[in-house]
Amino acid sequence: MKSNYRQEKGIGAALWRFFAYLIMIIFALLAIVPLVWLVISSFKTTVDFQADMLGLPKHFYPLNYPQAWRIGDFGILFGNSVFYTVFSVGIATFLSLLSGFGFSKLARKSSKPIYSLFVLGILLTTQTLMVPIFLQVTQLDTLIGGGLAKIGLCNVNQFHLFYDTKFGVLLVYIGSLLPIGVYLCTEFEKSIPTSLVEAALLDGAGYLQIFIYVFIPMCVPIIVTLGLLNIPTIWNEFALINIMVSKLSLQSLPLGIYKFSGTLASDYGKEFAALVIGLLPMLIFYLIFRKQITKSVASGAIKG
Amino acid sequence: MAFPIFLSFVLSISNFNGGKIFAGGGWKLTGGQQYIRLFSDPYFWHAFKNNILIVLVSVLGQLPLGLFLAYLIYRKIVRGGDFWQGILYVPAIISVIVIGIMWNLIFSPYGPLSAVINKYYSLTFHAKVSQVVAASVTSDGHLHLTDVLVNKLIALNPSGAAGVFPAPVAGGLKDFLASTSGETIKEIEQDLTNLLAPVWSADFLSNPKTAMIPILFVILWCWTGMYMILFLANMQKIDPQTIESAQIDGAKEKSILVHIILPELSGVIMNAAILCISGSLNSFALIYAMTGGGPARMTQVLSIYMYEKAFMGTPDYPLANAISMMMVLFSLILIILTKKVQKYFEGGSDEI
Repeated sequence: MKSNYRQEKGIGAALWRFFAYLIMIIFALLAIVPLVWLVISSFKTTVDFQADMLGLPKHFYPLNYPQAWRIGDFGILFGNSVFYTVFSVGIATFLSLLSGFGFSKLARKSSKPIYSLFVLGILLTTQTLMVPIFLQVTQLDTLIGGGLAKIGLCNVNQFHLFYDTKFGVLLVYIGSLLPIGVYLCTEFEKSIPTSLVEAALLDGAGYLQIFIYVFIPMCVPIIVTLGLLNIPTIWNEFALINIMVSKLSLQSLPLGIYKFSGTLASDYGKEFAALVIGLLPMLIFYLIFRKQITKSVASGAIKG
Repeated sequence: MAFPIFLSFVLSISNFNGGKIFAGGGWKLTGGQQYIRLFSDPYFWHAFKNNILIVLVSVLGQLPLGLFLAYLIYRKIVRGGDFWQGILYVPAIISVIVIGIMWNLIFSPYGPLSAVINKYYSLTFHAKVSQVVAASVTSDGHLHLTDVLVNKLIALNPSGAAGVFPAPVAGGLKDFLASTSGETIKEIEQDLTNLLAPVWSADFLSNPKTAMIPILFVILWCWTGMYMILFLANMQKIDPQTIESAQIDGAKEKSILVHIILPELSGVIMNAAILCISGSLNSFALIYAMTGGGPARMTQVLSIYMYEKAFMGTPDYPLANAISMMMVLFSLILIILTKKVQKYFEGGSDEI
């Protein structure tokens, strides 16, 4: 019995296989060659690069990396990126689990419209709302600042709770992660038998206890999925942080890399090094969790 | 999510332009004049058109390509499915800022794309030069300097032949050929190639008419792998026995694809299309890093245009909010579409 097409014989099948491999190879080269070129170029001096853009470096010049790191203040930005990613993904995952629990097990009349509102957010991306989010954030600052100034607690213009603060960025990030998180958690937690909750209730456990001791251990698969989906999202996020902060001490890695395409662009060696610094963490992350990431993308993005 | 939309709507029909929104900012509702302004703005329509272009490329490019690649792997027409999968997904994991800057460099006039093509150009040109030179080599192995030779060499270069600078080039060539004593014929050929070869430079990104092409290409490059993974995962859910029994009944590969795989995936394909379309509103960072909306605003999409109105130069919040509302409207249409499509395929699921 032919279990698959590979075993079919004949010149037509052979040609078709050749064509299939050709397509695959072309796509794979397209995906990889630009990145390899990027890495090779990052070890060239700018003069070397301009003389020969395609070949291997004449003089191996690893100093581009420490220089780019210093010029781009990547020490600060890297730390910030880690901070934003860890906290926003962590908190958003926890909140998603919690609301998933609510929506799937504690159904009230009000829960359906609220749930729909969350799911709406999956299609309504935060980039669409860049301007209103910015206005909301700055206006809330002026509002609260104005109130505090009236009772003499601070100067209006100096008050920042949301704009240009880590707190504000985290808040917006968590908000942007919640729709997909709430959706996936609710769908997942629906599959956990309700009888389990009822049994625990009969044994005298409170909802919080049930959530922590019964639910969270059962939700490990969805926690992993959310983490793998959301970590790259936040790590690579650019549009929102670009409008939410102005101070260097609060910026994240993508903002730092973007600077290299502007005023620093003429120094190619360092620009390439900065780009490699930008892509390396996620590439390593991907290489480690490759199987799980592709799986969670497939299960997360769409349910068949 | 809900509050910013509401805020945005209110501000889009107001004259608020800075200052305080809450607690007496002194702005008032002015009705739909922002929308009239927006609809009579050619740049808005251009940005909108670019968004539509991105949608088309995503739906007509990423989905079929992703489906095709997934099919090749699923039916094991190519071996090592895991390996291809792993590589093709790489672009989707990298920061779009890095991707944007990288492709901007690749497509730049003095970038590697130009270098590759020029290398090819100069190779073919070198062959032509050596033909001309070979015809003028005397029996003792020296180059026979004549006006005919010089004219033939100039005629090789299309820009020279067009009469842009024939006289100085001819003079320069004579001097050059006279100064080559001691060099081998091969070296002379190489020097002549370097001197006369036409130089091609990639101007896609600097030419307003073509600047969208690289962007669409990069968008395709970025996400095809993601859709491939998506389709592949759902193909693997198909019961293999269905396909096997069809094969026993004598079904051909083509009919397996058309009658088994595609119908099984129809729901997923539809959902992926919706994702594609809503994703097209999400191209801000990539285009921002690649062209910043330029040249001459020709690569702007709605989000970039909105950003420009709100954050660059003097802010124009009413208009920016109106653009934002148009994008929300676009998304809402999609949500309604999803609902309809889901009902059509699943016979009325009440989700979303």
